[in-house]
Amino acid sequence: MSRLQGPNALKRKRPGATSDSLTEHERIVHDVIQGKQDMGISQRDMKREINLPDNLVTKCLKSLLAKNLIKEVKNIQNRGRKHFISAEFEPSNEITGGAWYVEGSLDTEYINVLKEQCWRKIYGLKVATLEGVTDAIKRSNVSQIELSKQQIEEIVKALVLDNEVMEVKSSGTGEFASIPVGKVCYKCIGKRGYGGEPKVGTMASIPCGVCPQISHCTPDGIISPKTCVYYKKWLDF
Amino acid sequence: MVTQHGIKYAVLLITTHFGDLVAKVCECLLRKGPLTLQAIVRFTELTSSQVKNSLLVLIQHNCVQAFILEQPGSHGDGAKLNSQYIALFNNIIHRWRFPKFLTIVSQKLDKQCVELIEALLLHGRLTLKQMSDRAKSAQNEGDDVILDAVREAFIKLLNAHFVERCPAAEPVLTKPTEEETSARKRVPKSAKILEGKETLEQRVLEAATPSEALRFLLVTRTEPAADGGKDENNSSSMTVGKKRKLDALESETEGEATDEQVVLWRANFEEFIRRLRHKAFIENVRACLDDGAVIVISAMLEATRTAEKKVKTENSVPLSLNSIYEEVIKSEEGRNITFDRVRASLVQLSCPPFVKAVNESYSIDFKKIIELAQNDEVESIVLKRYGRDAYRMFRLLSSTARLLETDKIADTAFVEKKDTTKILYKLWKDDYLHMEKLQLTGARQSQFLLWKVNKNTLWEHVLDEMFHAALNLSLRVAHELEQEKELLNLPQDKRVNRLRKVRLLLESSQMKLDDAIMLFHDF
Ligand code: SF4
Repeated sequence: MSRLQGPNALKRKRPGATSDSLTEHERIVHDVIQGKQDMGISQRDMKREINLPDNLVTKCLKSLLAKNLIKEVKNIQNRGRKHFISAEFEPSNEITGGAWYVEGSLDTEYINVLKEQCWRKIYGLKVATLEGVTDAIKRSNVSQIELSKQQIEEIVKALVLDNEVMEVKSSGTGEFASIPVGKVCYKCIGKRGYGGEPKVGTMASIPCGVCPQISHCTPDGIISPKTCVYYKKWLDF
Repeated sequence: MVTQHGIKYAVLLITTHFGDLVAKVCECLLRKGPLTLQAIVRFTELTSSQVKNSLLVLIQHNCVQAFILEQPGSHGDGAKLNSQYIALFNNIIHRWRFPKFLTIVSQKLDKQCVELIEALLLHGRLTLKQMSDRAKSAQNEGDDVILDAVREAFIKLLNAHFVERCPAAEPVLTKPTEEETSARKRVPKSAKILEGKETLEQRVLEAATPSEALRFLLVTRTEPAADGGKDENNSSSMTVGKKRKLDALESETEGEATDEQVVLWRANFEEFIRRLRHKAFIENVRACLDDGAVIVISAMLEATRTAEKKVKTENSVPLSLNSIYEEVIKSEEGRNITFDRVRASLVQLSCPPFVKAVNESYSIDFKKIIELAQNDEVESIVLKRYGRDAYRMFRLLSSTARLLETDKIADTAFVEKKDTTKILYKLWKDDYLHMEKLQLTGARQSQFLLWKVNKNTLWEHVLDEMFHAALNLSLRVAHELEQEKELLNLPQDKRVNRLRKVRLLLESSQMKLDDAIMLFHDF
């Protein structure tokens, strides 16, 4: 991988660690893991890289784990696979997925709480800039972890995708009076509250409009409007 | 855009209104494009007189237009000057909308006008004389009273542009362009109107339509019978003397003395569609803004309507704040609105950008309103069929309008990576997304998937599904009616009750669906 370090990194000693107490095999395994720095390495890749019998590698990993020299982390690219990283490193975002992931899965609960809080702040402000939302969130202590402006932006953008909030440019007049002209700001969408369904379209309100079988449905075929089960349910008066 | 299911939907309608024979001829024209009488006979295997009669019915009801195509270098060659017939898909589909047209007239004009337009819709084309004869046979008042009443109602309809002169029976087109020749050979699959380029159908219609001056002009022997005061508004009627002068310019008119008997009139679909389009704009504004904004946009539409040259106009003509206000206070709801309130409503209307302001004048961005409404409709289908996560991903791709990589989509839409691929793949399989593979040599992850919403093809796909759904709704109505006869074991009142509810739901859904079809097809 691109993050593979040169021989110098391999030789670098972990400060304070007594790797003297390691067996020769353990040292080889540890050096390989340490060499991958914050990317770590999966057990499978390790077996390919180290010329030792599988069961021996497994044994070494166990004892290194017990000595707290390495740790096992979840890799979001492949959660089922065992992935190891040297104890002094924090796994990179590529491995963890970044701030929105815990244990390799998306922290939807946390994200949803943040989304709703951001929505409430925007609602309260009527028209909000990104800085405005970030400040409001900071002051309200919703999150134990301090959130950067960029992280708030990601959340707000998701609200835009959810069609809960719209992105507009300040016109400098009316409700935008306090915001410089042309600056991007956010507004809650019209008349519905948070989490409400967007207006159901015409197609979405009739069976054929959302029917998975529509491309197989013909007037006199096996699937047809005469025999259709969706219609039967719909017209069950 | 004429899609496969659009044709089926049109043919079903012609079958129910005019029977199988006429429908067969109509379908042949819809599928094969313009044809001569002989060609239709050959393709349909009907007799020449059957085809001829069917064509007459279709022409009477404005579903087919005849024309002559003069081929270059074919002088003296009689065979090349044969009439051809072209099916007018839009006019056929408009037949589903007659109830909507009637509603519009009944909201704007009196009962007499509604009856007159009803007759025109029913018969396709009528002369003024035929219209008054019909009225005479329906009532037993004195002839003159009825005649005057009919003429008065007719002039009201004409002034509102709800009726128009019928197009020329057989316009001659000269010098076909490259595009036309290919359009004539079109097969239904590729039968879409290329934006910007004129199709043969458009050229035929253009050639057949009477000039603006004549289109809404009624020539009468005396001043119209309406009260003198009203007459000043009757810009559409003209006395013979004035008309003679016009005749010098318009060679296409016939002898004026018999105008009432020979000039054929019909409902002006274009005007009705324009009104429905405006209604849709108002509904869209109502859905997200307050009453003030609705009143302001209605006033702007009212003030600029007559300036619209074609249905698919992109912007309204700009209006100053003063002239908007002037129009606002003309309406009853607008009377207690202050100048400042109008100004505030205009600010509201600029985000989402329904109205554009340039140099203190305001113009409605029709194109934008339609675009937003179309997006809403498609996104709502995605939400219902594929769920919330797909909805976010689709909105991301649809607003970006360029290729995005799977991981980028997952991160922005907050969806688990492996679910992202699954959802995107499903959307792609159902033609909602366009996908490209990017092969990178060297790196370990050597293949990336890039995704995009291709609006042109997707919108056409959605429109076809809409026509399909509409077709299914009408088939189901027919099926329910047939079933009714067989369900005799149920008690009668229960049966009738059920059927009533079923029909109400199906038919109202069909009308609503037709609004959506117009949004994608006619607006
Ligand atoms: S009729 Fe039934 S099966 Fe056919 S498209 Fe509609 S819902 Fe689907």
